[in-house]
Amino acid sequence: MDFFSNFIAGFAVALQPINLAFCFLGVFIGTLIGVLPGIGPVGTMAILLPVTYGIPPTTAIIMLAGIYYGAQYGGSTTSILVNIPGEAASVITCLDGYQMALKGRAGPALGIAAFGSFIAGTIGVIGLQLMAPPLVSVALRFGPPEYFSLMLLGFVILTYLAQKSMIKALMTAGVGVVLGTIGLDTMTGMPRFTFNIPELLDGVGLAPLAMGLFGISEILLNVEKKIKLELLTTKVRNLFPNLEDWRRSIWAILRGTGSGFFLGILPGGGAVLGSFVSYALEKRVSRHPEEFGKGAIEGVAAPESANNAAAQGAFIPLLTLGIPANVVMAILLGALMIHNITPGPMLVKEHPQLFWGVISSMYLGNIMLLVLNLPLIGLWVQLLRVPYSLLFPLILFICLIGAYVINNSAVDVAIMFIFGVLGYFMRKFDYEPAPMVLAYVLTPLLENALRQSLILSDGSFAIFMSRPISAGCLIIAAALLFSSLLPMIRKKRETLVAEAEKDD
Amino acid sequence: MNTDRVSSLFWLAVGLATLYGSVQLGLGTLREPGSGLFPFLAGVFISLVALIIFLKSFIRWRALPLDLKAHWTGVNWHRSLIICFLILGFILFLEGLGFFVTSFLLLFLIFRYVERLSWGNSIIIPVLTLGLTYLLFNVLLKSTLPKGIFGI
Repeated sequence: MDFFSNFIAGFAVALQPINLAFCFLGVFIGTLIGVLPGIGPVGTMAILLPVTYGIPPTTAIIMLAGIYYGAQYGGSTTSILVNIPGEAASVITCLDGYQMALKGRAGPALGIAAFGSFIAGTIGVIGLQLMAPPLVSVALRFGPPEYFSLMLLGFVILTYLAQKSMIKALMTAGVGVVLGTIGLDTMTGMPRFTFNIPELLDGVGLAPLAMGLFGISEILLNVEKKIKLELLTTKVRNLFPNLEDWRRSIWAILRGTGSGFFLGILPGGGAVLGSFVSYALEKRVSRHPEEFGKGAIEGVAAPESANNAAAQGAFIPLLTLGIPANVVMAILLGALMIHNITPGPMLVKEHPQLFWGVISSMYLGNIMLLVLNLPLIGLWVQLLRVPYSLLFPLILFICLIGAYVINNSAVDVAIMFIFGVLGYFMRKFDYEPAPMVLAYVLTPLLENALRQSLILSDGSFAIFMSRPISAGCLIIAAALLFSSLLPMIRKKRETLVAEAEKDD
Repeated sequence: MNTDRVSSLFWLAVGLATLYGSVQLGLGTLREPGSGLFPFLAGVFISLVALIIFLKSFIRWRALPLDLKAHWTGVNWHRSLIICFLILGFILFLEGLGFFVTSFLLLFLIFRYVERLSWGNSIIIPVLTLGLTYLLFNVLLKSTLPKGIFGI
């Protein structure tokens, strides 16, 4: 009974005009930046973070979440029509989506992507709603040592699943930890690594950091190469997939939903991994694997469903444990902290209207997205005609103004610029910026958990091994780290990565 | 020069600087962890990982990491360099010239000299963008973007 009363209460929150309006704004912006190459959900959410200071926290999260899952919808459009993925999670959709478009079947490809996303998104929300409460009751029994070990395990899984090099992901995570310690030490009140710059006393801001690493660096990399959009001139018509299309796709959609959802829960998993894995899975179970890459509709349906389901699954660790599974969730965590709300097991109890309101808004957001993406597809296609030479100066301008208005200080703009340049080199040298931001956000929590554990245990690290949950997490983490060193498993992991890269 | 070797040396420097800084902050004891303890652990971790990447760069892999130069061949790197200088200029002049004048100059220079749009477009697009920004920030949000010597 509890489930339904919460469900109704959530809808009452989500249906408030202001929340409805911001939900629409979120999914609209999400679709927009999903379509536009050169700017992703992370950069956009970072830019909009300062805007959310002035609105209620529930409304802010509803909008930011909308951007995230909205971008998963929009990303597929460019993959199918121009063979350029609008989002990393849509890279794999290019393979069969673009082939379908070349064969004049752009309509059904776009259609199945939208319907698949809708089905997966909705099932994902239901899964989130069912799985969150039991997890919360487990998490309530966690103390500082459990949290510390769990976060360490999270980091190891994150780097284990890193797209490129695991050791480099560990590196950027380590640097992120140091960045997270900049500012006043909350326990002793001592300034750390502030170099006597007063603006740094509050620490490096999440918005300038994320905007630099994901926004500015992206611009710098893109202006080096000329992006040429070869737009398909054929008219997109017949958006509704026929019966045969449905017969071939429906199981792909459901399988994609399942694998995407569970990979979304894992740290570092998220939408990108979900789409790759579900594509590989479809290819394996298909009775005609030779059609993949030549315009098989399952190759569009599965990854597009998976990335949407993953987007919902990723909310589970954030809302129940207070631990973000990926950078997008890290930004949501940052947004909540700005409003003095600490995500975690207490969230459901202390802020039920936020918890259930955000979840309910996702049902509505998914319906809005279906309406936005199917009838209005022509509008988004037109948008693709905006040349990058016009787009990037405007994105740059939005970043600059966004960084400035946070504290009305040029220091934030400078911080953003520094991390933009750092991000540029990191991407050139195959260091992923995502673990850095995640580590940066988690550091205050991680440090507090460590200190409290040490105080609890009177200075003995043995506390982490004497508590069963904590010990379990550490053992799994150690096993993962160790296994990545074993030649056999390393090879397996490398072929997985290579396959994923070959495909893009 | 091998890219992994260069980047690992950079991170090693970051790690060692962190170690130095955290010792200065005071590590405290394990019973009463000080401000420097956590950064110290992070510094040890960074330095170790940097060393591993550095040593790994001497082992031959199937595919060697690219040479440093290879990252900048075949791309118009001078374009990103110009953008960097323009952003730097923006930061330096922002508080003197004011937000709108600096932004106009930035956008105009990019459109006219980096993207080589026509004079007309290079002026009209920034003016439109800044007009909208003015409406949004100064009229609707009543926020203060820095005014410069020209009073705007």
